[in-house]
Amino acid sequence: MASNKKYWKSVEELNEDSSIVAKLRQNEFVEDLPTDEFLGDKETLESSSTSRRDFLKYVGFTTAAASLAACEGPVVKSIPYVVKPDDVTPGIADYYATSMANGEDFANILVKVREGRPIKIEPNKLAKTNGSTNARVQASVLSLYDNNRLKGPKAKGEAISWNTFDKELTAELSKLKASGEAIVFLTGTHASPSTQKIIQDFTALYGNVDHITYDAVSESGALDAFEAMYGERALPDYDFSKADVIVSIGADFLADWQGGGFEVGYAKGRVPNHGKMSRHVQFESNMTLTGGNSDKRYMVKPSEQAQILLNIYNALTGNGGAKTTSVDAGIQKVVKQLKAAGSKAVVVTGLQDKNAQLITLAINKAIQSEVVNVSSPRYIRSGDDAKISQLLASMKAGKVGALFMYDTNPAYTLSGFAEALEKVKLSVAFAMTEDETASMSKYAAAIPHYLESWGDVNIQKGQFGLVQPTIKPLFDTRQFQDTILKWIGSSQSYYDYVKANWNTSVLKGTSWNQALHDGVHMNTSTEELTVNEVNIDSAAAALVSSIKGSDLELSLYTKVSLGFGQMANNPWLQELPDPITRTTWDNYLLISRVDAEAKGLTNWTVANGALNGDKVNVTVNGVTVKDVPVYIQPGQAPGSVGLALGYGRVKGVNANMKVGVDAYPFYQNFNTHQPVSIEKVGGVHEFACVQLQHTIMGRENEITKETTLADFVSKPKEEWNAKAHVSQDHQLVEIDNVDLWEKFDDTIGTKFNMSIDLATCTGCAACVIACHAENNVPVVGKHEIRVSRDMHWLRIDRYYSSDMTVEKGKEEGIYGSKGFFEAQEDPSDDPEVTFQPVMCQHCDHAPCETVCPVAATSHGRQGQNQMAYNRCIGTRYCANNCPYKVRRFNWFKYFDNNEFDFNLNNDLGRMVLNPDVVVRSRGVMEKCSLCIQMTQATILKAKKEGRPVKDGEFETACANACSTGAIVFGDVNDNESKVAHIKEDDRTFHLLEFVGTKPNVFYQLDVRNTNEA
Amino acid sequence: MGHYEAPIREPIIVGDKTWHDVTVDVAAPVEGKANKSWWIAFIIALTAMLWGFGAIAYTIGTGIGVWGLNNKINWAWDITNFVWWVGIGHAGTLISAVLLLFRQKWRMGINRSAEAMTIFAVFQAGLFPLIHMGRIWNGFYTLPIPNQLGSLWVNFNSPLLWDVFAISTYLTVSVVFWWTGLLPDFAMIRDRATKPFQKKIYSLVSFGWSGRAKDWERFEEVSLVLAGLATPLVLSVHTIVSFDFATSVIPGWHSTVYPPYFVAGAVFSGFAMVQTLLLIMRKVSNLEGYITRVHIENMNKVILVTGGIVTVAYLSEFFVAWYTGSSYEDFTYLSWGAATGPYWWAFWALIICNAVIPQLLWVKKIRTNYTWTFIIAIFINIGMWFERFDIIVINLSRGHLPSTWTQFSPTFVDIGIFLGTLGFFFVLFLLYARAFPVIAQAEVKSILKSSGDNYKRERDNPNAVKPIPTEPKKIVKEAKSDVQADDRANSLLESIGTFDIKTQQPDDLKKVKGIGPVMEKTLNQIGIYSFDQVSKMTKKEYDLLDSITDSFPGRAQRDDWAGQANKLKS
Repeated sequence: MASNKKYWKSVEELNEDSSIVAKLRQNEFVEDLPTDEFLGDKETLESSSTSRRDFLKYVGFTTAAASLAACEGPVVKSIPYVVKPDDVTPGIADYYATSMANGEDFANILVKVREGRPIKIEPNKLAKTNGSTNARVQASVLSLYDNNRLKGPKAKGEAISWNTFDKELTAELSKLKASGEAIVFLTGTHASPSTQKIIQDFTALYGNVDHITYDAVSESGALDAFEAMYGERALPDYDFSKADVIVSIGADFLADWQGGGFEVGYAKGRVPNHGKMSRHVQFESNMTLTGGNSDKRYMVKPSEQAQILLNIYNALTGNGGAKTTSVDAGIQKVVKQLKAAGSKAVVVTGLQDKNAQLITLAINKAIQSEVVNVSSPRYIRSGDDAKISQLLASMKAGKVGALFMYDTNPAYTLSGFAEALEKVKLSVAFAMTEDETASMSKYAAAIPHYLESWGDVNIQKGQFGLVQPTIKPLFDTRQFQDTILKWIGSSQSYYDYVKANWNTSVLKGTSWNQALHDGVHMNTSTEELTVNEVNIDSAAAALVSSIKGSDLELSLYTKVSLGFGQMANNPWLQELPDPITRTTWDNYLLISRVDAEAKGLTNWTVANGALNGDKVNVTVNGVTVKDVPVYIQPGQAPGSVGLALGYGRVKGVNANMKVGVDAYPFYQNFNTHQPVSIEKVGGVHEFACVQLQHTIMGRENEITKETTLADFVSKPKEEWNAKAHVSQDHQLVEIDNVDLWEKFDDTIGTKFNMSIDLATCTGCAACVIACHAENNVPVVGKHEIRVSRDMHWLRIDRYYSSDMTVEKGKEEGIYGSKGFFEAQEDPSDDPEVTFQPVMCQHCDHAPCETVCPVAATSHGRQGQNQMAYNRCIGTRYCANNCPYKVRRFNWFKYFDNNEFDFNLNNDLGRMVLNPDVVVRSRGVMEKCSLCIQMTQATILKAKKEGRPVKDGEFETACANACSTGAIVFGDVNDNESKVAHIKEDDRTFHLLEFVGTKPNVFYQLDVRNTNEA
Repeated sequence: MGHYEAPIREPIIVGDKTWHDVTVDVAAPVEGKANKSWWIAFIIALTAMLWGFGAIAYTIGTGIGVWGLNNKINWAWDITNFVWWVGIGHAGTLISAVLLLFRQKWRMGINRSAEAMTIFAVFQAGLFPLIHMGRIWNGFYTLPIPNQLGSLWVNFNSPLLWDVFAISTYLTVSVVFWWTGLLPDFAMIRDRATKPFQKKIYSLVSFGWSGRAKDWERFEEVSLVLAGLATPLVLSVHTIVSFDFATSVIPGWHSTVYPPYFVAGAVFSGFAMVQTLLLIMRKVSNLEGYITRVHIENMNKVILVTGGIVTVAYLSEFFVAWYTGSSYEDFTYLSWGAATGPYWWAFWALIICNAVIPQLLWVKKIRTNYTWTFIIAIFINIGMWFERFDIIVINLSRGHLPSTWTQFSPTFVDIGIFLGTLGFFFVLFLLYARAFPVIAQAEVKSILKSSGDNYKRERDNPNAVKPIPTEPKKIVKEAKSDVQADDRANSLLESIGTFDIKTQQPDDLKKVKGIGPVMEKTLNQIGIYSFDQVSKMTKKEYDLLDSITDSFPGRAQRDDWAGQANKLKS
């Protein structure tokens, strides 16, 4: 409604002709402002109260304010959920069960997903077997965020769209179909029933199709042997927990042998139970993780291993014809023990030879070994050497029209492949990175990481696993299977395909949703095993004739870190110290001290303590790799050298990951054992080792403890696990009874303790990577590791025994002298090996806590020694005063720093960060927190649910990752808890107990079964 | 104070000084101009200091990682330098406080500089705990100041915190003590000052000293009180520094002998540094009359005693390391393991410099000899640095767990910062030597009549003829004896011919390239005026000329004056 109201401004308006009103229409003010009055008159201006100083103040203030206001605040990218997804609660992690199967590592896993980002891999405890995660599986989550991933399909190096890709490829395929040229699928072992079916579908459509599986490091010998004897191309399963006697001839079964995963069963037999534990004898040339864990290790050259196997076979079966070896006495003892153990024994071998594997199978069959399970074999290796050789030949002959490569990088791993590939008209690499093969192929089809994929896997007969995506594909990638489906004209997605396939052939009426939830599905098969008669004698004869010794023999091996080398661009794995050599970012020629001296090769330390080594040129059958660094390895069999595969990648990896030498050229005819010659060349190699002193310096009973089974069973605890004593009032008293401080009552509430069982710890280092992932531990690079600045919160110390013992020193009369200590520093040529994981010991009387001037590290009510990063000023006094040297200092800013160009230097790589753990800034100390973020979450959860925390609910990343259960974590105030029980065990001891730090981490001593009878 | 002193005591002040001489001698460096050697020393020190500051800035900007430290050896040069500088800082207070209480008069000649050295050394020392922090910007957390977090407080258990208090207390007391002693001397300079600016400055710093009896009375009282306060500090500071190590659990650090041994070592190194500085200063600042054989010998005796304590401590540590036969002990810094291990050189540097070489001081001739004293003092300075290096680095490099054994080597930043503190120290000391009365002249005057050699002499033999008081020496370059120069000028003129200024017209020698107006004047003074004379010059004459003029040697020959003159002549 319009208003007729009139508003008066002044009474003047009553007067219609008021000049004031007229003037106001034009002017703002009635009177002119008296500007002249205060500006024109100098004198008034000067006498005004606003002085020149005031003016300057105002100018100064406004300038400062204006410039401050001009400063731009940092732009923080955070995108709120507009519509919150139902299943995402910020701050609450989701877990998805999935499976990893990349041709090398197969595991049923749980993936921790925070706010849509997968950040950690955990073992899926629902899986009966293969639920364990090794270091590579743990680290694989970082490969998802690999900056070098293919971000879309490429043709001859140029990015193209999937439409173009499909158009061109279908055109090519129809041409091929018309011409009838051979199409070959070359894949790694995927053990995926659905993928297998898709390829069959494809074959049905296109006809001349061959599918060849290829394992970079082949288990073809074992597969051939098993196939010959049991009619199925698979690998037998071994349950070492059932074994009383384990004899391994070159089989590194605690690491990657036949796909790994055997440590779980093995560890069960390594704890004395009712006075019994397994006896493990290892014959090997390289010092392996398995050899390091064995009770008795014999150093033999590779060529001798076959003879040893034969001799054992002959002795067991009563055949004659044993040739002498260097370890005959050992073989006799082993045979006696094998015979005594009967079906509770097992013989395994790592020899890559069908005959050797046949003999092993025959031995185990002869003794009716319960350890070997042939009825549900494993499918995690399926490569066939013969077929690969054929493929290479036909490729070279130009007989291959198209080659589709998936999950494999033969241009890197297979010598001769690169040349052969050039002769193939159509080559398509389905790859995650532009690796050696993808960059050579005509088409590189970007495939997603397994954490972005659907799929299935049949790891073992009757054991199925599902692969489900945990994040939307980060890049423009498409699964290999989806591509094939498209090519065969199917409109189905691979997800539908898998689901349909499972519903028809796997689930047998059970729920798909349940299977997807569990990630695993058991399907007990009732198939009868067929046993073929194989002529073992002829195999033995063939084996004998194949033995060719040489002066120096090379054993190629894979490391628990890089394995085949697929994840060479994974900084966590590159920085993971080798459990044996404790060296990072490298491979090197392992050589015995004897051979090194004979050839004038040395390792030496430089002023900052770092290790340097000579270099050699290594030649195998005319193939030479230049400038291979030499590492003198205690326990390396004289006459043998070792070299790790998986290094020396050049394509698809960052510049700072191009480390080590490529040993694949030596892997000729898929034989890990090769005659070799080495020649010293000039130059010095700089190693990056995290441990530089290898022996325990006679401090066994204070650092690690070990006893023999016999002593453990028959002698009182004081003799093999005596408490530390200190002098008080001139009397020796147990350390527990001496205390400078008054003890506060810590029996109320939760008190965390951690137990580490040295008997079951194999040193596999999965815990190290798990800790890396959980706690946002930065990668610092080769140089920083070299100058002893590793950041690992958890390390696995490895000690070799020395020939100089206290007894020997006393005998020789040099005990306590300079010469004695010097001799102790040298590891034995044939050492016993001890592994000891060390993280912050969370001392109740922590030396670090008393010395911090600002109380940045202090004791928690629950027993943890805590770090308040915000409070830390970085005096590093705590690290100096830590007897365990577990504190880690941020010497630099390790994130967003081009000097440290690893995953924390790019937005993609930072996605792996655990939001529950702060990224530490430069200048602060950090260390193991006993995963306080996990324990607090557990407590809060229980509190919300109004119940006490159950035993087993408390976890740390390391304990969770430990497949052998060597690390146990829990509340020691809960009398029912596992850790409380273990604490009362006779094997319990504390690291450096005599210092009186009263740690909350304790160890269980190692027991060695030295029983030779 | 009586004026009698037993004749058997050697005079402390030599050179027939009168009270006025003392004033003039002490004021001379302040009032005069700096000479060339001072400037050279200052520029070198300043360069080193700036380099060090650059290295510090780099460290703070990039991270402690630019040093050679690692996760096992978390301290090395930083704390070595810290303890070294703190140790050096011990002599000053000992001289000024302890010797004051013991009424040792010889302290008066040296206490001022020793205290200055203390303060400057503590500055250097204080730098290291600051810059060795990973986050220096949060360094104030070490101060017990109230904060918004209420209960968040410093950790009074930590020896590092004790250090904060010990060092700051020590610095404060030392500065106050030093300044109190300076008041009458500043006043003396103020009263002599002619330039108004100088007068203003010195009246400010002398706090209105009037020289009344009441002033002196208070001065004496305050000195005594401060001496009483400072004396326990001499013992406490290095005891607390030693707690950094002794209260830890690290083999080699965890040692009950540390506190007394550290104090002795500190005094040992402090006196060595006093010797080093004063032996230079007595020459440069013409203080030979005040810093005499008595001072040097007495300080050497202190060095012998404290060096002996230190050596005994070494032997006992070494004995323990050997006697226990313990593996941990074998790798401590005084053990066979250290003597033959990777740090053997550091071990032997320590033993030779600290335990062996100082034993030479048992010989009277050596301990009263300035040169020998200087050399030995330098060795002790080096040896004491190595002692701290050994304690820190060797012990940390061989800890409890052999798996953690490693070594340390310094980076250019470590070295740069150490050199920088040396530079900073000398910059401060050189400025001090130019601006402060470097001898406590008021106190020295109080003993002049008892310990001055002329007074002693007169007292013993009152009939002797009084020597004529000499003019105080001026710090200017001595003029060269003209006699020799004249001889040379004559022989020069002999070979090139003379020139009679009265009869002949002199040439404009400036036309020769290389001869400027100054050189022309010089040549004229010698008797060279004509191109003809210059053209006759050969190598021999050039050399003669150089030896006379003493400037731009070889220039005449280089510019070929003779050849040029030959052309100009025609």
